[in-house]
Amino acid sequence: MKVEYINPFIQSVQETFLSMMDCEVSHGKPFPTKDDGLSDNLIGIIGLSGTAQGNIAIKFPAETAKTIVGGLVGTTFTEINSSVVDGVGELVNIIAGNAKSKIQGHRISISLPTVFRGGIHKLTTPSISYLTIPFNSNKGAFEILISFRPTVNEKEEALHESAYSG
Amino acid sequence: MKVLIVDDSQIMRKIITGVLKKLKVNDILEAVNGQEAVTKVSENEDIGLVLMDWNMPMMNGLDAVKQIRASGSKVPIVMCTTEAEKERVLEAVKAGSNDYLVKPFNPKDIQNKLGKFLAACTT
Repeated sequence: MKVEYINPFIQSVQETFLSMMDCEVSHGKPFPTKDDGLSDNLIGIIGLSGTAQGNIAIKFPAETAKTIVGGLVGTTFTEINSSVVDGVGELVNIIAGNAKSKIQGHRISISLPTVFRGGIHKLTTPSISYLTIPFNSNKGAFEILISFRPTVNEKEEALHESAYSG
Repeated sequence: MKVLIVDDSQIMRKIITGVLKKLKVNDILEAVNGQEAVTKVSENEDIGLVLMDWNMPMMNGLDAVKQIRASGSKVPIVMCTTEAEKERVLEAVKAGSNDYLVKPFNPKDIQNKLGKFLAACTT
């Protein structure tokens, strides 16, 4: 996956956490997603369509999800309830929406988010491969999983680019 | 002044509500999709400001803005959305929205953006 498709998601995560929670996040080196065997996660996923297709997911350990969503609204959550689930969905919505506006030369639409509790094995299929970007913050570690496939070639992308700038 | 927050995310409605209360706006209505927003605007003529998300189930925010304007309502509408591309902003303005606030935002961004609308309603 090209770096120009990865960086917008890293920037979007950093901007979202800093803007909404005053929380700085650092990221590690991206790697091909593998099942880590951890099952107690909250995973928010959103679909991409248009000149690129794929999915963007955010994966929080359950405890981290409570802390981070609590930080959004200044509340302490003691259990995974509908508010925590909703917050994870809104975070992936904001991150994906913000990132797509940073990807040059593409016209991308996002779906409504879906959130589920479980492991990565529920997300991956033989036909869809993801890249994992690990993040760390003072509210806990989490991951962004990206599956991004341009559906137009470079020449067509350039045409889209000139159409936007015109 | 009565403000209508339209967003399918309860967390986002809670965040915006918190900021509005700090701005001493306590008369707040909520809608979870565009269809509900259209109904609430038609039933509450005293709404002074609508904060409208874009991507929602049932009816999206853009279609809701179009329907509200088609009904003759001139209530100020501020889009609060992740849709940041220039053409999307123009689309929203063309549909009849008055201003645009891009997510992610912090409380100060909301305060700055809404200040002029709240001031206009209280003068």
